[in-house]
Amino acid sequence: MEHEEMSLFPGLSRRDFLKSCGALAGLIGLSGPMAAPRVARALEQMAKRPSVVWSCFQECLGCSINLLQSRKPNPANLILQQISLDYHEAVMAAAGSQAEKSFRETVDSKDFYYVVEGGIATGIPEACTIGGKTSMDICKDTYQKAKATIAIGTCATYGGIQAAKPNPTGSKGVADFLREDGGIKDPVVINSPRCPGNADDTVAILLYAIVNKKLPELDSLGRPKFLFGQTVHDNCERRGHFDAGEFVEQFGDEGSQEGWCLYKVGCKGPVAYAPCPKTRWNANTAWPVSAGGPCIACSEPDFWDKHSPFYEKAPGIMLPGDITPTQIGVGLGALTAAGIGAHFVGQAATGRLFKGAPVEGQNEPGSEEGGK
Amino acid sequence: MTKVVIDPITRIEGHLRITCVVENGKVTDAWNTATMFRGFEIFMKDRDPKSIWQFAQRICGVCPTPHAYNSVRAVENAAGMKTVPDSVRLIRNMMETTQLAYDHILWFYHLNGFDYVNVPNALNAKPGTPGLKAVQDQVKAVVDSGQLGPFANMYWDHPGYKLPADMDLEITAHYLQALDIQQKACDASAVLGGRYPMINNYVPGGVTQMPSIEDIEFYISQMGIVKDFIDTVMVPDLLAIAPYYLDLATYGKGVGNFLTWGVLDEKSQDPYDRLFPRGGIFDGKLALEKVDLAEARKYTKTSWFPDDLGGGKHPLEVGQIPQQFTKMPAMDGTAGPAANDKYDWTQALRYGKEVRPMEVGPLAQVLVAYLAGRPEAKKLVDDTLAAIGHAGDPTVLLSNLGRVAARVLKAKINSDNALRWANELLANIGSGETKIYEELDFSKDGTGESGWDAPRGALAHYAKIKGGKIDTYAANPPSNWNLSPRDDNGVRGPVEEALVGIPVVDTEKPLEILRTVHTFDP
Repeated sequence: MEHEEMSLFPGLSRRDFLKSCGALAGLIGLSGPMAAPRVARALEQMAKRPSVVWSCFQECLGCSINLLQSRKPNPANLILQQISLDYHEAVMAAAGSQAEKSFRETVDSKDFYYVVEGGIATGIPEACTIGGKTSMDICKDTYQKAKATIAIGTCATYGGIQAAKPNPTGSKGVADFLREDGGIKDPVVINSPRCPGNADDTVAILLYAIVNKKLPELDSLGRPKFLFGQTVHDNCERRGHFDAGEFVEQFGDEGSQEGWCLYKVGCKGPVAYAPCPKTRWNANTAWPVSAGGPCIACSEPDFWDKHSPFYEKAPGIMLPGDITPTQIGVGLGALTAAGIGAHFVGQAATGRLFKGAPVEGQNEPGSEEGGK
Repeated sequence: MTKVVIDPITRIEGHLRITCVVENGKVTDAWNTATMFRGFEIFMKDRDPKSIWQFAQRICGVCPTPHAYNSVRAVENAAGMKTVPDSVRLIRNMMETTQLAYDHILWFYHLNGFDYVNVPNALNAKPGTPGLKAVQDQVKAVVDSGQLGPFANMYWDHPGYKLPADMDLEITAHYLQALDIQQKACDASAVLGGRYPMINNYVPGGVTQMPSIEDIEFYISQMGIVKDFIDTVMVPDLLAIAPYYLDLATYGKGVGNFLTWGVLDEKSQDPYDRLFPRGGIFDGKLALEKVDLAEARKYTKTSWFPDDLGGGKHPLEVGQIPQQFTKMPAMDGTAGPAANDKYDWTQALRYGKEVRPMEVGPLAQVLVAYLAGRPEAKKLVDDTLAAIGHAGDPTVLLSNLGRVAARVLKAKINSDNALRWANELLANIGSGETKIYEELDFSKDGTGESGWDAPRGALAHYAKIKGGKIDTYAANPPSNWNLSPRDDNGVRGPVEEALVGIPVVDTEKPLEILRTVHTFDP
């Protein structure tokens, strides 16, 4: 009964609250009987709801729209009960100088988490201004005052679509901007790419920082390893069809209705580091490949240039059926016993196939290569 | 004379500044300034025609689906594909239906709602049900915590808020409920399209796969919930709020020219036969005119591009767009915009040799459907006019009130037809009409166009393919029409014109300006 009155979670019973904490724990990779109580304790110990300032720069608002698709917790619960969304131009009631007031009050308190959606216009600074200030000025000043900064979506992480060649406005991701134009030597920015940024990632990262009181471990591209450690291909539900050599040759063919592998119609799953097949999208209902469309590697830096055309076979990836004795000799010795016939190549063996095969444009997390 | 500058305009997609001159309590002049530029038409050049729609849908993360549609149709058109297989039509209609449903709900409650619904005043209500009491407790907890979040610093003490406290509470409850309902439509979109926003099942030549029966049934059940919400909550909310805000019918008239390319294809695939048919209305005369995508013209004298870049050219003739940024007008309004200043990243879009500024959006779509004699639009408009005491007088809709009402009516017509597309698709599957894709040849040069409205209004894409690549690409989104700056003749754009004449009772709290801008859903 002592927990009935919780100012943090008005309207939620203890049972509901713990249930919600259990779901949140799952998001950040905590499991076991103590996971939910641990999350609950971390949230209850806060004197106030964590304040969030959310900047939109060169963006399309897609990341925010996906945030509205969050289910655990739902958006009302998230925005009003779990965090205090003190500045978000698409959500807040106030406008103009009153919005600016909300911004200043929160940022000057230095007690907030900073979320950025959209790229920073560095080539033409006036290509993105809010209240007369450029995205460069706002981003640098706010970053310096924030407890932690999270870049959501591929624009805020790596410049995104407007950075596609020839990048007319000099758009950059937050970390690159801070380092290259902002004079900050080693900026600490948690990168959560994908286009749009994913609601579950956003919530998970915020919660990870709050519960663990530290930032998650990041790969060389600034992405939390607990979310972005594996390729789409590694976890794809169609992986068995790849291994079996069963490919969609053209949209609408028999294989496409059977849910076969989309590699030959352009799938970039082998080079995309993202949890899409595991966490899926829109409350677990679907993900891009479940709709029969190839993965476009939207989690990867410069994917608009590096990984398009999107409907052509990715270069440098070998298929089970493509294997020649020479290639086996180079790095796929383990496959010899399995035979060359596509239908006999097992899942474990193809795991080696990918590690052994050179993959163009692949960014191996944790390696020194692959930075922008 | 006072100059009022609002930057940022919040609760919109994109970045916008509004500057108004207020004299004797009324706006006498206005300028809109889009404060963000990305350069889509520049980086879309030389790309693969089959991939280009993935770029195009990123123009707008609130309404990616109609951008996706127009992009695939424009390149299909360039490759000589004049119509699509019937099942492709229906799948694309279903995708668009989910997009329209979520978008209009989001606008009515979450983007526009705070202009009329006073959330803190909900604390003064006497809740009649446990559900409303719970919502009131939730609002109270937020207020008591001192962390007001999205409700902070709004002009809540403005005399323009007129609803009784009980209604403020009830609609605040619907605001929260609507957050869940919009997810139903987006989930349906995700199941068919892979995720929402940024779908993955479109491709030039058709769609990537035929949805399974289970997926179609999921769409049917989700859209049933959405329709129920629109019928029993959203439409009644409009009719309940309207009597308190009838003054909105007296201002915000705008340019009186309306344009829609139409949206949601019937079996004929004729744009004049769509659920929301194509058409134009000129000079405030409620008579229906045919319209042509080639009559969209661009002007750049007042935007940050070379003066002669536009000059009345067809969108594809404008070609690649070198920017020419000069200076941002001062925040305090002391320095401009003046007569010949460049003040906008948006290029002025005008229609035809008369250089007409055109209002686009649900008001245009509903008026054109009404004039075209579409029965569902005719009945709903007539019923609404009667309900607000203006029976038989559709001209009252040429106002802020008309724009708000039209969005709700359009949401209803859309959801009333949601199941029809699904049932037709099931019938096609039953009869074996299951072709969903045709491989297209992009090696031949060609030019294509497509006009299909986004939720917020007329949207068209134009593509020129040369040597197997995109040679020139142009997109004319609805806000390009509504938020056009002055053209080369100095004529204001639709939002600028709608602002002129509106009352502003307190220049420190320009609620009426926000309301007027938001009726365009920029």
